[in-house]
Amino acid sequence: MFELLSFGDAGWGDEMLRGLAITVQLAAVTLPVGLILGFLAAYASLSHARPLRFIGYSYTTIMRGLPEILTLFVVYYGVGLLLNALALWWNPESRGIDFSPFAAGVIALGMVFGAFAGEVIRGAFNSLDLGQAEAGRAIGMTKIQIFRRIQLPQLWRFALPGLGNLWINMLKDTALVSVIALNDLMRMTKVAVGVTKQPFTFYLTVCLIYWAMCLASEFVLAWMERRANRGIRRA
Amino acid sequence: MTQPEIIIKAEDIHKSFGSVEVLKGISLEARKHDVISILGSSGSGKSTFLRCMNFLEIPSSGTVTVLGEKVLVRNNKPQDIRQIEVIRSRLGMVFQQFNLWSHRTVLENVMEGPIQVKRVPKPEAREKAEALLVRVGLEDRMHMYSSQLSGGQQQRVAIARALAMEPDAILFDEPTSALDPELVGEVLKVIKSLAAEGTTMIVVTHEMAFAREVSSEVVFLHEGRIAEQGAPDEMFTHPKTDVFERFIAKVR
Repeated sequence: MFELLSFGDAGWGDEMLRGLAITVQLAAVTLPVGLILGFLAAYASLSHARPLRFIGYSYTTIMRGLPEILTLFVVYYGVGLLLNALALWWNPESRGIDFSPFAAGVIALGMVFGAFAGEVIRGAFNSLDLGQAEAGRAIGMTKIQIFRRIQLPQLWRFALPGLGNLWINMLKDTALVSVIALNDLMRMTKVAVGVTKQPFTFYLTVCLIYWAMCLASEFVLAWMERRANRGIRRA
Repeated sequence: MTQPEIIIKAEDIHKSFGSVEVLKGISLEARKHDVISILGSSGSGKSTFLRCMNFLEIPSSGTVTVLGEKVLVRNNKPQDIRQIEVIRSRLGMVFQQFNLWSHRTVLENVMEGPIQVKRVPKPEAREKAEALLVRVGLEDRMHMYSSQLSGGQQQRVAIARALAMEPDAILFDEPTSALDPELVGEVLKVIKSLAAEGTTMIVVTHEMAFAREVSSEVVFLHEGRIAEQGAPDEMFTHPKTDVFERFIAKVR
């Protein structure tokens, strides 16, 4: 069994390690994209401008309503087609644009993450103590200063548990990109199983790897929560 | 003798929330070193009026002039938000609920305004904040968070935070109303010491004894209008209106 997982020509260790690297990269790139979309969605749905609110709610409800794998297909094939059509329209000689599965994965997973994160952030924002922002206004701080110095640090406090959940979800959902031929951990595992006919060994190994990633995330999240909760009385 | 300069001048302030008119034309002038107490039963509009001074509420009509600068308002919106930010930085405010920033230590609360708004260098802001915290008797609480303090201590931090901006006047919005009775004294003591130093203040309060002892002028609001106004001793011994007489009888 250990032979199969060894590094080098005989084993699949190095292939799976490369897959793991892609999975981690995908999740790491998706996170900031998703967070930015989440903040934009929260901003839009909290806005006083009706059209903006409409956009915020539409985005959230569509993304939450679609199975993630469909979102991934729509982005990969749809956006790919669109880019090619645009490229051809721009320059009929061109051979089209290569829309990478990695980019499709980042966009699709980021959009899903953003929709859920938007709700988490909106809820967190509504839990903020208005008086503290008012104290900022009363001292002459600008809106941006109030957001950056008072609201954002306190937002984490309320949003971190929810965002932590989303991060772990997303980390596991990266496995979906294996269906659009991105060589992530899941796909490398499937390839290995296909060749060696040893599903139990490989699937068990990959289970442990995903779980280890979640465990590591939980440690980091717990640390971040402790930091964000400085100054809060614990009952 | 020339009169001291006018710090805040409010003229004919009206304020409505929806169809409810809370303020029905109030004018007030605060000169340097004035201590003006605003009294009134709940719903009389006293807090709303105070909040119009630094535009936490935008008056529906009327003008506010701070340090000779008239604040421009159009369509219930300040015309120049920068102007209002500058005015706010020159008028301190102390809230009923303290409103300390809970994610920052006591010291950081006091340093925040000077550093962020007045761009004071950090070491200087820190030195000043420490001195102010000594002054309000909290030098041993500097590195604590507001959740670790009593209400009276929090309010004293809030006063230090306002003082750190070296404001031209301080607005107090019921500074002792949220405190346990035994903690009221320590906060009033600090406010009194400020008054003794000549700090210009407008204080919305329910503390009659304090108003009588410390104020240079008392304003009594009733149903959105000034019902009675004058020197504290005269007002409390010879109330001119029935409403004020009933009010002091009730709270006594």
